[in-house]
Amino acid sequence: MEGHSLPRSEAVGRAKGSANRVRTNARVVTALGARSIRQTFRRPQLMAPIVVFPTILLAIQTGGAGGAVELPGFPPVQSFLQFMLAGAMMQSLMLAGNSGGIALAVDIEMGFTDRLFAAPISRYAIVLGRLAGTAALGLFASLWFFAIGLVFGAEIAGGVPGALLAIALVTVTAAAVGGVGAAIALRTGSASVVQGLFPLVLVVLFLSSAFFPVELMIEPAKTIAEYNPFSFIVEGVREPIVSGVDATDTAEAVLAIAGIVVIGLGLSARALRHRLRAG
Amino acid sequence: MAAAAAISVRGLERAFDDVLAVRGVDIEVGEGEIYGFLGPNGAGKTTTVRMLTTLLLPTGGRATVAGHDVVAEARQVRASIGVALQEAALDPLMTGRELIRLQATLQGLPGAEGRRRADELLERVDLADAADRRVGAYSGGMQRRLDLAAALVHEPRVLFLDEPTTGLDPVSRKTIWEEVRALNDGGTTVFLTTQYLEEADQLADNVGIIDSGTIVAEGTPAALKAEIGAPHVRLQLEDGSIAEAEEICRGIGALLPPVDGKTVLVEVEHGAADIPRVVRALDEAGIEVGSLELVHPSLDDVFVAKTGHHLEKQKVPPASSAPANA
Amino acid sequence: MEATAALPAWRVNLATIGALMSRAKNELLRVPGAAIPGVLAPTIFFLGLNGVFGALTQLQGFETGAYESFIVPVSMLQGAGFTGAAAGVNMARDIEQGWLDRLLVSPAPRWVLLAGTVLAASARALIPATFVFAIALPLGAGWPGVDGLLVTFFMVAAMAAVAACWGSMLALRFKSQSAAPLMQAGMMALILTTTAYAPLALLQGWLEKVARVNPVTQVVEAARQGFVGGVSWADTWPGLLALAGLLLVLGALALREMRRTGA
Repeated sequence: MEGHSLPRSEAVGRAKGSANRVRTNARVVTALGARSIRQTFRRPQLMAPIVVFPTILLAIQTGGAGGAVELPGFPPVQSFLQFMLAGAMMQSLMLAGNSGGIALAVDIEMGFTDRLFAAPISRYAIVLGRLAGTAALGLFASLWFFAIGLVFGAEIAGGVPGALLAIALVTVTAAAVGGVGAAIALRTGSASVVQGLFPLVLVVLFLSSAFFPVELMIEPAKTIAEYNPFSFIVEGVREPIVSGVDATDTAEAVLAIAGIVVIGLGLSARALRHRLRAG
Repeated sequence: MAAAAAISVRGLERAFDDVLAVRGVDIEVGEGEIYGFLGPNGAGKTTTVRMLTTLLLPTGGRATVAGHDVVAEARQVRASIGVALQEAALDPLMTGRELIRLQATLQGLPGAEGRRRADELLERVDLADAADRRVGAYSGGMQRRLDLAAALVHEPRVLFLDEPTTGLDPVSRKTIWEEVRALNDGGTTVFLTTQYLEEADQLADNVGIIDSGTIVAEGTPAALKAEIGAPHVRLQLEDGSIAEAEEICRGIGALLPPVDGKTVLVEVEHGAADIPRVVRALDEAGIEVGSLELVHPSLDDVFVAKTGHHLEKQKVPPASSAPANA
Repeated sequence: MEATAALPAWRVNLATIGALMSRAKNELLRVPGAAIPGVLAPTIFFLGLNGVFGALTQLQGFETGAYESFIVPVSMLQGAGFTGAAAGVNMARDIEQGWLDRLLVSPAPRWVLLAGTVLAASARALIPATFVFAIALPLGAGWPGVDGLLVTFFMVAAMAAVAACWGSMLALRFKSQSAAPLMQAGMMALILTTTAYAPLALLQGWLEKVARVNPVTQVVEAARQGFVGGVSWADTWPGLLALAGLLLVLGALALREMRRTGA
């Protein structure tokens, strides 16, 4: 395209080129993101389990294990519900990540992604677009559980800033988990495999501080939960609700999320390379 | 001595929400008859069959099968009929033998007899070798044969076959046809639904043509076709005068409305026997004929005459036409 | 030409039920890995709940110090609920694929067809129940005694039958496998809104009220007896009554749906 151009205009041309690419990719991410968000909210029967199932579990566990607040060593909370909100949000975002992975796997099975890969757009833009839907679902879940909490009398100790922080953390984590789900989808190309990982979601949650204070858990779950990155994220979401915004907890949560993002990106990159090579 | 009707249907109706899929159907099928129920997709064939086999409740009218009312005496109807539905109701995890044995148990046959019948029928439909393989590994033709065998395990008086050869290759189709004929020779009444003209033509003693939920024509295939008219000869002229050719042909038989400027259609009452007359007459007049075709009326013509549209989507020239070049 | 009807009706019905149960086992034996989800779900819940909420036994009101003993019957019942609901999903699949038509066109009575599905689920539920029990013992669950074990396994089988009736009813009503989440969630809710997590006195708010009236609470208590104490008739008959009631109601509803499939 640049035939015999002078060095300076060539440099300008290159800069223009990469600026164009960024714009194009941004457009792609927006378009695919809008599509994935539309897909998610257009089919409520698929969305419902992601929010309804954790809500039912929240209700049952609050009613069933609520007496735990009396246990010596239980952190000071206004109510067990207040304690559990973060765990319920965690559950929702994990399910959202799993379902985002399933959606991508379905796209792959249907050949939609092949069309995208054949286009001159960044591979990562494609995955990022998908994750936008997952993040939106995470956002929705956090708002939902805040609403439930408020309706049933739970106080948000950190006030509005605390709530916003929690919502932000949940949304970003949903995308991060979605990235891992996407990586699995890219690697296996099979929706039923990704779906089969749903029990794993439960396992990871049970082995974290999502449902109970780590100090009071039973070994060996206790030790695993102490080192589980998801525990840090849960605490980062829980603190603003239960006591107030804490810099350390927030930082630990952000680090944990970053770790998951890195893992998700790494796995996605490998899976993409493998998929594009294998065809 | 009037033979009791094997199947008797009066004003049968079935509504789904506000749509009448079957609107007032009357059918009479005698014992030992093969009845062909012919119609395009969506005409109401399967709905009618499902009502006659007690899978669906009619919303109007009455029907008796093997002497029993399909609503009030459903149990007795089920004991007297064999059914092979459009979607072969098979379990891919079972073997062919297991399936027929299960069917035998469902029909109330004692264990030993059920096993014996299974072996017999598997042999008869040529599935003895594949009997202990899983149904999931069977080809489409094999699955249909198995379905047919299962329908026969209790030697039913009336056999319902819903589109038994749809989607099958010609060889499998012929096998099913032979089996149906053999069954009928043994006295089984067969109620057959099909969208294939040839199938109805070849197999059925009586044909009922259904469109949009009503029977538009009924009778033997021959009678239905004769109703439409005699066969005709379709002449394609090389060039030269249509008018002259028409004049000549008018002397032999009635002219049918022309389809284009180069074709003459003339009815020939005696069918192929009239062809030499036509050829000679045109030859004497020095008119060159490009091609000549003898066209028999088909059930599709019957269908078109009654409903205004074709039965089969693509109109395939009937197998019985005999092209000849002058 | 007609086959001579030699067998009395009850023998034919029994043979049919047996044949349908025999077909049901193909699902486990001929599909690799088919048993895994049914076993995995209750096991994960058992291990998870135990690790997470084990400290609850420190609260006053728990008859046992070992949470394993307290919840192992719940996990076994959960396995039963899952297995029964899965039977409903299988029936929905059979409907979608036309297999049920074959059964409906035969002269077999509708209750016989339902019984085949339900009894097969009861038998299958023994698999996850045994698995969870086998894991729970070395982890600290008390030995329930032979009588306790028998009562628990009986409750498990009966609960699976209840779940199968529920699942079948939904399958016949919606004629689609998309009703699967409702089948599973319904049973899960039924089993967990009881004294599953804690004794009645320690349940909070709405759950305490629901658990009081939920018949499955009696089933949980009856199944739990041997693990937390001794077995007595007084603690057993309410559970039996509850199961009988549930079977009657859900069975009748399922049968009604089956009879109405052609309407």
